[in-house]
Amino acid sequence: MRIPFSVRTLAAGLAAALLAAGAHAQAGQEITFWIRAADAGFVEPLVKTWNDKHANKVALTVIPSDDFVTKFGTAVAGGAAPDVVAIDLIFVPAFAQAGQLSDIGAEAKSLPFAKSLSPSHVRLAMHNGKQYAVPFSAESSFLLYNKALFKRAGLDPNKPPTTMAELEADAKKIAALGGGVKGFYFSGACGGCNIFTMTPYIWASGGDVFSADNKSETLDNPALRNTLAMYRRMWKDGVMPGGVKTDNGSNFISPFFSGKIGMQGTGAFAIGLLKKDHPEIDFGVTPLPGEKGGSSSFAGGDSIAIPVGSKHKKEAWDFITWCLSEEVQVEQFAKNGSIPVRADLADNAYSKQDSRFAMASAAMQTGRTPYSVHFNQLINDPNGPWLAMIQEAVFGKGVDVAIKEGQAKFRQILATP
Amino acid sequence: MLTLIGFKTPRRWAGFFFILPCLAVTTMFFIVPLLMTVWMSLNDWPLLGHPSFSGLKNYADLFQDASFWGSVLFTAKYTLVVTPAIFLFAFSLALLVHRGVRFVGIFRTAYFLPVVIGMTTASLLWTWLFNDQVGIFSAVLMDLGWVDEPVQWLGETNSALASIVVMVLWKAAGFTMVILLVGMQAIPIDLYEAACLDGAGWWAQVRHITIPMMRRTFALALTMSFIGSFLAFEQFFVMTRGGPFNSTITVVHWIYRASFTYFKLGYGAAMSVVLLLMLLVLSGVQLYLLRDEP
Repeated sequence: MRIPFSVRTLAAGLAAALLAAGAHAQAGQEITFWIRAADAGFVEPLVKTWNDKHANKVALTVIPSDDFVTKFGTAVAGGAAPDVVAIDLIFVPAFAQAGQLSDIGAEAKSLPFAKSLSPSHVRLAMHNGKQYAVPFSAESSFLLYNKALFKRAGLDPNKPPTTMAELEADAKKIAALGGGVKGFYFSGACGGCNIFTMTPYIWASGGDVFSADNKSETLDNPALRNTLAMYRRMWKDGVMPGGVKTDNGSNFISPFFSGKIGMQGTGAFAIGLLKKDHPEIDFGVTPLPGEKGGSSSFAGGDSIAIPVGSKHKKEAWDFITWCLSEEVQVEQFAKNGSIPVRADLADNAYSKQDSRFAMASAAMQTGRTPYSVHFNQLINDPNGPWLAMIQEAVFGKGVDVAIKEGQAKFRQILATP
Repeated sequence: MLTLIGFKTPRRWAGFFFILPCLAVTTMFFIVPLLMTVWMSLNDWPLLGHPSFSGLKNYADLFQDASFWGSVLFTAKYTLVVTPAIFLFAFSLALLVHRGVRFVGIFRTAYFLPVVIGMTTASLLWTWLFNDQVGIFSAVLMDLGWVDEPVQWLGETNSALASIVVMVLWKAAGFTMVILLVGMQAIPIDLYEAACLDGAGWWAQVRHITIPMMRRTFALALTMSFIGSFLAFEQFFVMTRGGPFNSTITVVHWIYRASFTYFKLGYGAAMSVVLLLMLLVLSGVQLYLLRDEP
């Protein structure tokens, strides 16, 4: 019997609809994920791995690091926030206070490795007793030094400085080599770079930038004065290259690649970068020292959170959990030169291959991180009081004027809600 | 009904309907945002959170904000330096390409090309040209033996300002050149021929014919250049980030900081309104001074 054309057409249409529905069900959800450009190197392969293995897909957006707070803040205000965001841990308190991040405390506590997560990340994710983020990537700060330059300057390359006085003396000896060689480098126009690499000298010397309750400044302390004075002397004595004055962080590590910088503060990312791209540079790492010994580190990196208004909270949490798994922390992060955010994974096959990673991981676990809802305005803002104080102290009128002006501006900002 | 509101003749309301699309666009993209900005300036309006009416508090705080008035002074200084520089340079270029000599089209195009590059792109390009490590300017000076170390072009306030002025000259002079060229080419050629017959040389013709006849064109070019310079932002944001020592922060940069770093949209709106009023007054003065003589 011949089937009528209309029936055949209807059957074909129904079959096509069923196929499309099945394909859609298999395709899963799309989760939007924002990161800052500084993380692109290790997050892009991470997202590709996730997308290759899972039905739910992650659509990654990379935002310029300097503009991340502005772009994320305006997206949140406009109701266009992503499903998942990896944000510098120092900004989490501000967004948590503004009610823009979801409370994921219950989910975080249910993780079997919850107690192994980076304590600094977890502390900064807390607001009014609730937890709004979990660790995503870890960065600790330490002193990077060029062993070849140490040898040329008559210094023992296996005995890096253990006090600030030794650091300054070693830097001067290296700068005396001449030929464009300089003893020390720092990004003098970058607030975030200096909270990362300069503050540990202050902490190791017994001082701090904020009070214990984070509600007031403590800038006028001997440790901070002496740290700024050390930088000023190194600048005046020509121990640093001229470009430090205007470097806004875009040259944070690249001058070291030239092989003409003796020492600089940097983060764990530099270890993998130097090993991969500049194997010709014989480098060492050591903790950032205090005035009379001791050491400290800035425990940094990114936290990962689910903005309020996300329509894929369950899928977002699945992705976050996967990022914290041993598979990712070791085979993606540690293998490519990053530090795991879990203390139980700090000692892994890749960190054992290079003791420098082990030092960076140890610094992460004992490192400190300031907590402030005004962090962006105070510290990271290129026109903010932290950077203005450093620039005035090192390149301008001196330490006393710088601290006095800095205190006034810090207090003005800290007084706002 | 139309008679009641003054449209007595079909011709009048035909005219109204002709300008209605333009009126709609101006209302939607200028008048409404302007009114919204004024309303925001009367509120404590955080980027994240709920606004609350605060009256003139933002304006009261603004008039005591030394940093804002410092940025106004810096912006005025920058405007007073760059506006005449652009004008004189563009006028010289216009005089050069005014006559229809061979290949003049290539020169006109070459002078205008930088205009089509966005200001942010141009700023990024020149930031690297001025860079002490990889920039070409320091490298050339060191190769010539004029300096021993790379020059920190953006490291001091005055050299940073000068560097940005040079960049803006390169980028913007072509646009002013085109405006002035149009004005030049509108001058009747008979005047030049008569002057030639009377024995006037090139410079005499420029002084006594070109410049007086271009008064209105000058007013347009200077007003546009002045307003554009007073609204400078990208070049300082990209090249100096307001440094060194926060000495190159312009008014618009300060508005950006208030709104998107401090998340105080209401305060930023108040700054915007004050800036608008300043520009209205300054533009009015400029146009009055450059008006046609009675």
